Amino acid sequence: MFSQYFGHYLLNRGLITREQLADSLEFQKTVHVKFGVIAVDEGFMTTAQVEEVHEKQRQMDKRFGEIAVELGYLTEEQVESLISHQKQSHLYLAQALVDRGYMTIDEFGAALNEYKKDNSLSDEQFEAIRNGNVDTLVEKILVAYDEEKAAKYGKYLSLFAKNMIRFIDDQVYLEVSETNNVTPGNWLIKQDVVGTSPLFTGISINDETLLYVASIYAEEELTEIDALAKDAVSEFLNLHNGIYLVNMSNWGTELDMKPQQVFESATVSGDLFQVTVNTSKGAFQVVLSDNPSNIAVESATGTQTV
Amino acid sequence: MKKNLKVLICDDSILIRKKLRSVLEKCKIEEIFEAENGAIAVEQAKELNPDLIFMDIVMPDKDGIEALKEIKTFNTDVKIVMASSAGTSDHLKEALSNGAYDFIQKPVSFESVTLLIEKILKEESANV
Repeated sequence: MFSQYFGHYLLNRGLITREQLADSLEFQKTVHVKFGVIAVDEGFMTTAQVEEVHEKQRQMDKRFGEIAVELGYLTEEQVESLISHQKQSHLYLAQALVDRGYMTIDEFGAALNEYKKDNSLSDEQFEAIRNGNVDTLVEKILVAYDEEKAAKYGKYLSLFAKNMIRFIDDQVYLEVSETNNVTPGNWLIKQDVVGTSPLFTGISINDETLLYVASIYAEEELTEIDALAKDAVSEFLNLHNGIYLVNMSNWGTELDMKPQQVFESATVSGDLFQVTVNTSKGAFQVVLSDNPSNIAVESATGTQTV
Repeated sequence: MKKNLKVLICDDSILIRKKLRSVLEKCKIEEIFEAENGAIAVEQAKELNPDLIFMDIVMPDKDGIEALKEIKTFNTDVKIVMASSAGTSDHLKEALSNGAYDFIQKPVSFESVTLLIEKILKEESANV
């Protein structure tokens, strides 16, 4: 979301051409943001130091962070912070522009600072702008529904989109799915919110997208659908629902939640509301119902509680 | 001064246990144990007599609040830090009124755990 926005800023400032922007936005989908780009972006390392680490990486089988710490260019804490920054999408655009030779890392960093300055943005406000777009987006997708339904699920979905942006992928895009049955998506991860406003919450997801979401949330590359991969997505849902509970508590509604459960090849039916969450690497479904007792989950392989 | 804390991590998430362990290892904590639910945590607390417990709240078998209450009946000294994404006012009140030492809102950051460990080590050394 933000990279489209910032990309147009670069275009309007004449820093890149329309063709270069279109090409980079397309190319960034395949980009893996390199540590060096973020280290420079954060002001932790110089480009010369990044080059030196890259040179060493060619000689030994070690991670960028490890070598940079050994050389004294980064501290362990900075490596931790860089891992969390790896998710920010303006960096995907930065990497794409650099890889395609349209800008250098320095030029991109300077343009980003100019952007913040032009708009008088602090880091927190910078984040808020990105989140602010989400509320509008969620309102837009719920506009076809009656007010009661839109209000009921709007808060939850808006927060979900923000948490996706914050923890997983800010290229997220939500669409309402017009069906009352959830087609088996290989995995269903569900969690019941209980109390005065109960809610059935679930994520229906295929192998590929599960591995994508799990790898980012776990901050390591997961290639197999094992206990850790399933746990990572399940924990993301738990984190989101926990934050939802805290928000509801701040608004005066005390709720609680049950432990999550993971089902293989499950079908969900009943009075449910389904939203497709498109990420930059595949889609999954968020399944909601404010009438949880009406929801049936059937799985051929039974339940596994995590 | 007491340098080595014995720490028990109780969380049903493999990922959270792994991440907390890694932060604690960076804090040079040598004795780290894990429990995947409240019932196991109570058993472990009896057996191992830890100095510090990180306790999730929403867990199968026995939730973190129940485990906190039970552990406090036989070990009043142990510091139990609730670490949960669901830091609602009900949960906070219940945890603190039942003797929880602190509450960490998930996602758990490297800094929050490091600061907490430093604070506890300082207290431990002051008490010796």
